Amino acid sequence: MLAVEGINAGYGTSEVLSGVSLIVKSGTVVALIGANGAGKTTTMRAISGSLRPSKGKVILDGREIQGLIASRIAHLGLAHSPEGRKVFGPLSVEDNLLLGAYTHLPRFFGFLAKAQPDLDRVYTLFPRLKERARQLAGTLSGGEQQMLAIGRALMARPKVILLDEPSMGLAPVIVQEVFHTIRRLKAEGITLLLVEQFAKSALEVADYAYVMERGRIAVEGTPEALSRNERVLAAYLG
Amino acid sequence: MTLPIFAQMAVSGAFMGLVYALIAYGFQLTYATSKSINFGQGELVMVSAFFSLTLLNLGVPYWAMIPCGLVFGAAMGLVIERTAVRLALEQKSEGWILLSIIGGLFLFSTAENIWGRDDHPFPTPMSTDPIHVLGVDVTRNEIAVAVGVFAIMGLIELFKRRTLLGKAFEAVSADRDAAELMGISATRTVMLSYGLSGAVAAVAGILVSPITTVGPTMASALILKAFSVAVVAGLDSGFGVVVIGMMLGILESLSSFQLGSGWREAPGLVLLILALALRPTGVFGKTAIRKV
Repeated sequence: MLAVEGINAGYGTSEVLSGVSLIVKSGTVVALIGANGAGKTTTMRAISGSLRPSKGKVILDGREIQGLIASRIAHLGLAHSPEGRKVFGPLSVEDNLLLGAYTHLPRFFGFLAKAQPDLDRVYTLFPRLKERARQLAGTLSGGEQQMLAIGRALMARPKVILLDEPSMGLAPVIVQEVFHTIRRLKAEGITLLLVEQFAKSALEVADYAYVMERGRIAVEGTPEALSRNERVLAAYLG
Repeated sequence: MTLPIFAQMAVSGAFMGLVYALIAYGFQLTYATSKSINFGQGELVMVSAFFSLTLLNLGVPYWAMIPCGLVFGAAMGLVIERTAVRLALEQKSEGWILLSIIGGLFLFSTAENIWGRDDHPFPTPMSTDPIHVLGVDVTRNEIAVAVGVFAIMGLIELFKRRTLLGKAFEAVSADRDAAELMGISATRTVMLSYGLSGAVAAVAGILVSPITTVGPTMASALILKAFSVAVVAGLDSGFGVVVIGMMLGILESLSSFQLGSGWREAPGLVLLILALALRPTGVFGKTAIRKV
């Protein structure tokens, strides 16, 4: 479904990524783990078009998307829930969700009716968001904002979701809740690339995982294999 | 000075203030999406007024002139966006400041060459007899200004709140990068904001012209005050500009009456300096709500 082939990318003249390749098969959850500054978020940004890879290919559903602008890539079926959640603070929770479905809703009128099934789905998954539908997203707690960010990505009915650090800055009990949600989504057959610092939780939910170090993929394998890998064990699962 | 004259000056000033508010609102629209404003906005007001006047002279009926003027203003806004703003924003440079001033100067000389340097009266379909309300005279033109200003601002606010495109507009102002990830094209949203801002300038031109007459320099004083209003109220203050605009209109009307017409420009500048010194985000400026 999503394949990254040897991409280089970075900011200005400094290259952060050198030759990153990974594959996310349809209906699987793939984890991308590694230390701070290893290039996980940069990889995500290079895939979704927030950043232009200087080399290599990104293939979404058989189509090369590297070099396209982010809004175009979103229309092709990729939903990127960015690091730090980035919900639209001055807009209501429901407006945030509606904008998640921007790619397939009418621009002027009747969008609410058309989005209703997707809204209901997200509200079933996160009843909390329904309670707070009219509240401004900026006033939600961190955990609620994370649910909103995930819900917003789901609204797009994407082929692939990129989920960047959903546990960032959240209390442990909320982190558990987030991972619970990810497991539910996995059961529904969603295709997900997950970036996480909590390597242990990420490996529990993932079908396959990549470990990044200094801008490259250092190790890859199934979670079972990685859990037996001494290097990974020492560095990330200690 | 007697109270009725005082009230009369205040009321006339307040109506003029609504025009400042409307132009300031045009600044807000583009600032929201792109953090840039068109320093040639005054010239947009002026050329739109001239264009509308030309249409009227060609025999176009009044009711048909207004939408044509609006479309013309929107088109000019798009031209400014394309020629002066987009390249600068893509380079993350502040070049739009100089480029939009140059755009304005270009429009100014073009207007002088086409329509001459003289001021022209702008016809109005309404009777010029004032209406007496509570001892104060109000002209129909002034009422038209109030109705027009609130109508266009209301329509644009409705658009922003009730349509998905409008919500996308708000999303781009809140977080441009995140909006792009939703499939919202920031470039097109910025174009939209410049188009709307141009249309707003055209409305301001059509509304103010019957009161001030049309000439190449008609907007230079207007724009200075509109800018003061935008900064004093805050560039993200929404309807805050209406309050500040009317306040400034009243202040300058009273000060020119009391102290002499030479003092007319003073309150705007004093307010601007005070605002920058005391509250740079504006009286109604928002401080971002954010929780991590």
